[in-house]
Amino acid sequence: MSTDVHSLLAPYVLDALDPEERNQFEAHLEQCPDCRTELGGLQATATRLAESQSQAPPAELRQRLLTAIGTTPQERPVVTAMSQRGGLRRRLPQLVAAAALVLAAAGGTGYFVEHNRADEQHDQNVAIRAVLGAPDADTKALNLPNGGTVRLITSESRDSAVVVARELPALDEGKVYQVWLIKKSAAESQGTFSRSGEMVMKDLADVDQVAVTVEPSGGSKKPTTAPVVDVPV
Amino acid sequence: MAGKKPIRSESLMTRAAAHLRLADPVSDEPSADPDQLLTRVGRGDEQAFAALYDLLGASVYGLARRVVRDPARAEEISQEVFIQVWRSAARFDTSRGSARGWVLTLAHRRAVDAVRHDQAATNRENRYDWSSGPAFDQVEETVSTTLEHEQVRRCLDGLTELQREAVNLAYYNGHTYAEVAEVLDTNPATIKTRIRDGLVRLRDCMGVPA
Repeated sequence: MSTDVHSLLAPYVLDALDPEERNQFEAHLEQCPDCRTELGGLQATATRLAESQSQAPPAELRQRLLTAIGTTPQERPVVTAMSQRGGLRRRLPQLVAAAALVLAAAGGTGYFVEHNRADEQHDQNVAIRAVLGAPDADTKALNLPNGGTVRLITSESRDSAVVVARELPALDEGKVYQVWLIKKSAAESQGTFSRSGEMVMKDLADVDQVAVTVEPSGGSKKPTTAPVVDVPV
Repeated sequence: MAGKKPIRSESLMTRAAAHLRLADPVSDEPSADPDQLLTRVGRGDEQAFAALYDLLGASVYGLARRVVRDPARAEEISQEVFIQVWRSAARFDTSRGSARGWVLTLAHRRAVDAVRHDQAATNRENRYDWSSGPAFDQVEETVSTTLEHEQVRRCLDGLTELQREAVNLAYYNGHTYAEVAEVLDTNPATIKTRIRDGLVRLRDCMGVPA
């Protein structure tokens, strides 16, 4: 295991380790000056990935923060800098609680509608991760003749499946890919996408197939073209 | 800024402050860099905190938003991150890295932890209609305005498909490399290697010192 720990460096930079591996790698990092050197350059790279997503925050956040810090005590400097990260992580629950209080005090703001919509996306991400993490997750992959891949990950225990579409051929303007659950005699729309994306589907009891067709933007009530993808469940 | 301050009688103090300002090019410069601002934040300087927020707030919020998607959640995370910055600024050692990198690392971790925590805490029985939200590609478009984004995108385009997918899914979607391996139906050891190769290539493409 210890010979392999160095391979955790790059995933560590992207926060792509589970907590156990993260601890393992951080312990290793304390004794590995070479790792710290390499880490610096890769972390700076991740910082650039972060900055490229820059987006103006809601204006009221600034004032709320300036009010909050007025009553938030500061920690004193410490000499042992390497322990900083672990220390911060241990203090997080308190910070979360403090922030929640501040938010509650600040009251509701004007993003209600957008919030609902994004909530669904967020929930969907959560549901996708639940299927991927299921012990009985089973993957079927399909390479399309004109490029792109579609994967279907099914979990019987969760009665759910995830479709992952990647880089499907670009469509003419006004066309989208639409995903369907094909049951005995009906096709249920699961949503549309342009070229790539993931979606989760539930209640698979009497589903025979998952199919993808090309439809006009906004999607159709029923499939109107022959499926480009057709996977038995 | 000075014009908004209430008129005070301690003119001697004011003159002393003005003098100090001349002697110290850092203080109150709107273009002060994050490292210098963070040092001042560590000494309880609220103006420096505001300036640091003005410099990094959009990066923190945009990153959180990309990872958790939900604007309200992203705002909450941004708030937690900056409060943490305020509390811990004095403990930050500028010799160990940049303030910018530190703040964005905090933000990314908070966002990823939030996604994973929510996964563990909820398992709602909803049916999700994918067409109700912006498609993957559209999310990309709304943030592609900055020059920075263009360069990052160009560098991402220079990766192999597997490298790019692995980096995207891990960094922007908050997946562990084991989950990325599952999504891409690839061996986890291969994913670790691809993430590393991808990051090294990005680093060189962006001109970040090794």
